[in-house]
Amino acid sequence: MELTAAEQRMLDGEEGEGVRKAMELVVALGRIYGAQDLVPISSAHISGVSYKTIGDGGISYLEHVSKESKVRVPSTLNPSGMDSQRWREMGVEEGFARKQLHIIELYARMGVDTTCSCTPYLAGNLPRQGEHVAWAESSALSMVNSMVGARTNREGGPGALAAAIAGRTANYGLHLDENRAPTVIIDADIDGSLFQHSLLGQAVGSAIGNGIPYFRGIRPDWEEAKIMAAAMAASGAVAMFHVEGATPEAADQDLSGLETMHIGEAELTEAQDSLTGTEDIELIAFGCPHLSEREVREMAAFLEGKEKRSDVTVWFCTSRQVRDSMPREVAILERFGPVLADTCMVVTPVEGLFERSASDSAKACNYLPTLCSQKVRCDSFEKLMEVLL
Amino acid sequence: MILEGRAISPGRAEGEVLLIEEDFSFLGGVDPASGELRVGPGGNVRGRVLAFPRGKGSTVGSYTIFDLASRGLGPAAVINSSAETIVTTGAVISGIPLVDKVDISVLRSGDLAAVDGDAGTVELRGVGLREVVTGVVQRGTEVLIMRRSDEVSYFPGMWGGVSGRIEEGESPKQAAIRELEEETGLDAALLREGEPFLVRGGDTIWRVHPLLFSAEGEPRINWEHSEHRWIPPSALPEDSVPRLDEVLRRLGL
Repeated sequence: MELTAAEQRMLDGEEGEGVRKAMELVVALGRIYGAQDLVPISSAHISGVSYKTIGDGGISYLEHVSKESKVRVPSTLNPSGMDSQRWREMGVEEGFARKQLHIIELYARMGVDTTCSCTPYLAGNLPRQGEHVAWAESSALSMVNSMVGARTNREGGPGALAAAIAGRTANYGLHLDENRAPTVIIDADIDGSLFQHSLLGQAVGSAIGNGIPYFRGIRPDWEEAKIMAAAMAASGAVAMFHVEGATPEAADQDLSGLETMHIGEAELTEAQDSLTGTEDIELIAFGCPHLSEREVREMAAFLEGKEKRSDVTVWFCTSRQVRDSMPREVAILERFGPVLADTCMVVTPVEGLFERSASDSAKACNYLPTLCSQKVRCDSFEKLMEVLL
Repeated sequence: MILEGRAISPGRAEGEVLLIEEDFSFLGGVDPASGELRVGPGGNVRGRVLAFPRGKGSTVGSYTIFDLASRGLGPAAVINSSAETIVTTGAVISGIPLVDKVDISVLRSGDLAAVDGDAGTVELRGVGLREVVTGVVQRGTEVLIMRRSDEVSYFPGMWGGVSGRIEEGESPKQAAIRELEEETGLDAALLREGEPFLVRGGDTIWRVHPLLFSAEGEPRINWEHSEHRWIPPSALPEDSVPRLDEVLRRLGL
């Protein structure tokens, strides 16, 4: 791999042990994937925050790194295992909470913005088109690749942190033009609702794995795109998509020779059925990915003046920014269930609290059975509200 | 001998090889309290040169490696056929050398290996390398196999091609033509050479250079063989020398 003189000095330890180790990891990962060189990054988004997923091994790693390292580009964190303020109310145990707060403190020591969200692009970390970044969190990185035209691979937690410390990442995969071309055309025939975008993502991800779809027949807004991107990254490993007439790189693509796949009512029904294993539920969780301001406003408008008539628990998961900026709407939602920040239904220990849960997010419905031992119902906001009201 | 691979995680270390033949996840694959393997051959990873084809499983595996290493229970080095993100990340953050693109089928648990994560090499102490040729003679759609006599040192009684050591200063082609003349007396023309590969036997690793010849007529076998047959390449006998199928595959047969 060709390194600049400055990069070689970093790798030789002239900027300290922390930088040397970060460079070693960036270079090692680049070698595996055949990178020729490194690229400077403008931001990082780091996963590996929930104590539930990283465990004590993760803590000892972060304790070690945080002694000798600082991030050199703006960096944000993925959701943690609990709401940092309202964890008691969530039923999270004291021991878990202590370790979780310690993890966040370790990231803070390295200069990472500890807003814990899977939608950092809605919370102040929005790259510009053409910028190279190092992002973990499969839904968020797909959003900035696709909707923004920034460039990132699917980074893992330590890889994204190392890139943030080194200020660069290995130049391969989606950093290169030739790997951003679509691999299949998706002719989508859906009604345009948020939930159908979620199921569309589920169907496409299952069908194409790690391909790059080029969509026709949809014009998703950011909310629709994020629930679709999340689903495609969970049911498959889609890290980028194009939408005809909408996403910034769609017009430059050569579509000749690509296969076209039709996704309509039958495929959506099949996707929903494949995710649903129970009708009867104890928890309804919205906000995978985290609810945007607009979603909170629309949910509040729908629920205003209504009464909850069921003992089913509801969680609304969002970022701290959104929760803090909309007190009136949050107060309306709070009459139905807690508006949780910093966390979500997948990374918090749901398994100790519930056995059957529901979400409109296909991503959540992919992970709730495996990561949280839940029986799941995947359904639209409107249908799930019928359970509640 | 020295196996050439690809440098992934820097540093140098040596230890006894512990070979796991399946893809491996540190999360679940090792008891984090003791370093004992829960899969494959068993044994403890501590201080060993751990060899396995490829990492797999949850990304948490990277932290498991760090956790083991920080308590002195980690492997001394890792050798992979093909490195992936999770084990690479764990090795680098833990300061454990990792070399990949090594043919781990020639390693044996208990070998003493020195892994150089900067140069991308693995030195096997006490293991010698022999360069050998295996020539395959093709006649129409059939190939020549010969049964090795009881007089030969390696694989007596088994079916093989034309084989022998490459002498000092010889090319594989020269060696094969010399052996072909000695063992069969056939006047054969070289069609193509295949990519060489390694085979382990005892304290020796053979680098086998496959070569394909065409010839007419019948061989005149010497003391090294007891009989011969012409067979379709798909019909190798059970009692063939190790990896003869690989020789044919590398010759496109």
